[in-house]
Amino acid sequence: MLTQYMVVSALLIAIGATGVMIRRNFMIVLMSLEIMINGAGLLLITMSYYIGNVSGQVMFLFVAAVAASETAVGLAIAVMMYKRKKSVDINDFSILRK
Amino acid sequence: MEALVFYIIAFITVVGALGVLLSKNPYRAALFMILAFFGIAGLFVMLHAQFNAMLQVIVYAGAIAVMIMLTMMVMDRRTIEGLKRFNSQWFWPAMLGAGLLADLILLAIKFHINMGNAGKNLAINGSNTQLIGEVLFKHYLLPFEITAIILLVALLGAVVLTKRDIK
Repeated sequence: MLTQYMVVSALLIAIGATGVMIRRNFMIVLMSLEIMINGAGLLLITMSYYIGNVSGQVMFLFVAAVAASETAVGLAIAVMMYKRKKSVDINDFSILRK
Repeated sequence: MEALVFYIIAFITVVGALGVLLSKNPYRAALFMILAFFGIAGLFVMLHAQFNAMLQVIVYAGAIAVMIMLTMMVMDRRTIEGLKRFNSQWFWPAMLGAGLLADLILLAIKFHINMGNAGKNLAINGSNTQLIGEVLFKHYLLPFEITAIILLVALLGAVVLTKRDIK
């Protein structure tokens, strides 16, 4: 069963990475990041189960806290983008290139 | 029986993740994301991590998903729905994602560990939460406090970013 759990986690990470790369909507990019973080968390819990050590579950606590702070700052940036340009299209936000 | 339940939950999870990737409407993508989070919580229950399953439901499906939905409702609906679905250069990034998937699956198949400990040492007196608390406050006290500081900094950063005046 270990391989099946790892394959599900690989699917989640790959789907999240693809979503970050190919979508243009900033909100969906944030959701794809969450999916990637959850895939990594699933791998942590799987390893914690098969190795028989509870440390992986404690690591998931930290991962969840960091994901929550990342979402808060990401959503603040999204609100800033929307206030400034009335858009959440990431192609409109290439001002660093100028 | 356990394998059947696993395959059902894994299918639901992967369908939720694909829904986030492919759906046009961002509100629907958020609902698919909640579906994927609940599926992962089910997988956690199957891995005997009940405390983390509850944490998953409360923090991800409860807090983060609601935060994303509320932020989208602040914005104009036509603005966030009227975007083109994919980047015009979607092909090579998608190939990159497929390559990442193939690589990770190859690693997952080649990976072997000693399964003798599977499912053991994850609870004292039948309680998973008690053991997590004991390990957290005995061995991981400093990372726990640093996590608290990270949360505080993120809170302040979000407030400062959104309250700043736009010229």
